[in-house]
Amino acid sequence: MPKYAMVIDQRRCVACMACVVACKKENDVPPGEFRTRVVEQTEGKFPELRMELRSELCNHCDNPPCVYNCPTGASYKNKENGMVLLKSYRCVGCKSCVAACPYDARYINEEKGYVDKCTFCAHRVKEGKEPACVATCVGKSRIFGDLDDPKSLVSIALHQNHSEVLLKSVGTIPRVYYIKKFSKPE
Amino acid sequence: MEITVTGLNAISNPHLHAWDWRVSLYLFLGGLSAGLAMMNSVLHVRKNGRLAEGDKASISAPMYVPIILSIGMFFIFLDLESKLHVFWFYLTVQPFSPMSWGSWGLLAFYPISIMYALAMFPENKRSLLAFRQLQELSIWMSRYKLQLAAANFGMGLFIGIYTGVLLSAYVARPLWNSALLPIVFLTSAMSAGAAFMIIISSRKQVKLFFTKIEIWMILAEMVMLPLYFYGQYIASDAQRESIMPFFTFNHEYFWYGLAMLFLVMILPIALVMKYMEITEEHGEELTSAALFKMNLSALMVLAGGLVIRLSFVYAGQLSHL
Repeated sequence: MPKYAMVIDQRRCVACMACVVACKKENDVPPGEFRTRVVEQTEGKFPELRMELRSELCNHCDNPPCVYNCPTGASYKNKENGMVLLKSYRCVGCKSCVAACPYDARYINEEKGYVDKCTFCAHRVKEGKEPACVATCVGKSRIFGDLDDPKSLVSIALHQNHSEVLLKSVGTIPRVYYIKKFSKPE
Repeated sequence: MEITVTGLNAISNPHLHAWDWRVSLYLFLGGLSAGLAMMNSVLHVRKNGRLAEGDKASISAPMYVPIILSIGMFFIFLDLESKLHVFWFYLTVQPFSPMSWGSWGLLAFYPISIMYALAMFPENKRSLLAFRQLQELSIWMSRYKLQLAAANFGMGLFIGIYTGVLLSAYVARPLWNSALLPIVFLTSAMSAGAAFMIIISSRKQVKLFFTKIEIWMILAEMVMLPLYFYGQYIASDAQRESIMPFFTFNHEYFWYGLAMLFLVMILPIALVMKYMEITEEHGEELTSAALFKMNLSALMVLAGGLVIRLSFVYAGQLSHL
């Protein structure tokens, strides 16, 4: 069984926002709502400034608080590939999962009346394609693949670089990894 | 530090906006019905039921419980985005979701509180019940008064705690993520229940009995609230930051500062008023001035309970890891 994960190589991100646009187009995300976002964080004092570009999305945690807090079982962890997905027909829109997510990755799809989030483009992955944000990433900053396959791009990227996850101390065990520093991009 | 985010969702940026006054009202009314259920049981068990004899509250209070709970449930229903999917709550049990076991708990609370109200219906008033079947049910239930009082008390305790657990289960919201919050909400619920009993009861002895309970409940709140804030202050950075809206008296957090000032003033004032009520010499009947003071201090306690729910629901959504 594959164990899907995403690696975000922040050194290669140019903040072109193509991933945000591709995601909206692919998943028919309503206006004003997003499944992924890009954070541009500038620190320091001029002229010594440092900018971090960080793509954020659902972390498809192995210990997902959104799934634990869902009262109807609408949010669930797919046992086959580890993706955190949603059965929209079961969602009552109580917003418990929205409040539970430490990564603020969920939103209410006002048009359809249920909570929505990144699915790693499960429908594309099923067809053997990459998620839309990964396929469109011009800098190859987003890498997707199977953690259990040592030859997959994510396994190689994680093997060759130091990676971090967001809010590690919370214990959610995210499946989105960030490469920030230490080694130069190829 | 300057942050620009492309892809903002209004519900979570710059801070969470998932729940509003409807959830606050649900938590308050749920807590009030839970506290009232507990106080009902106490009233009917106290002195083998002699305290309840002849008091209007002995009949009306058990009936208020399901009514208040229904109003609270109506507000949470209003908050649901997919109202037609509400039946899914009762087609599954999610053991890790407090909202799941809360919704099942509420489902159990209804019949127990209704059976309890029927059981406690006085013999000489049973003719007021609209249907013969209800009268027969009331006679049959009255055989199990003590068991029903225990079940009613237990369910009240469960719901009172649940309203706090519902919020404290969110690791992502540091203000709510405290084991003390359910206890704070429970004491507030019991306090509100006693205050409601004071307002609706008709006999002096019953009013004074619940005034004594109220004093202990206010004292418990006055201990639990500072302990809760102290616990948050000495915990992690995120938890310390989470309580700052209550203590940062600027325009951005105006309502939270006001809520804190209100609680700091209202609880001691209500405590002193309640203390004076039980130490004061009353004649055979309470004077209208004494009744006014009793009801006023009870209303202050109820307002305090509402302010706690409103401010905690909103402030919790400002907090993040």
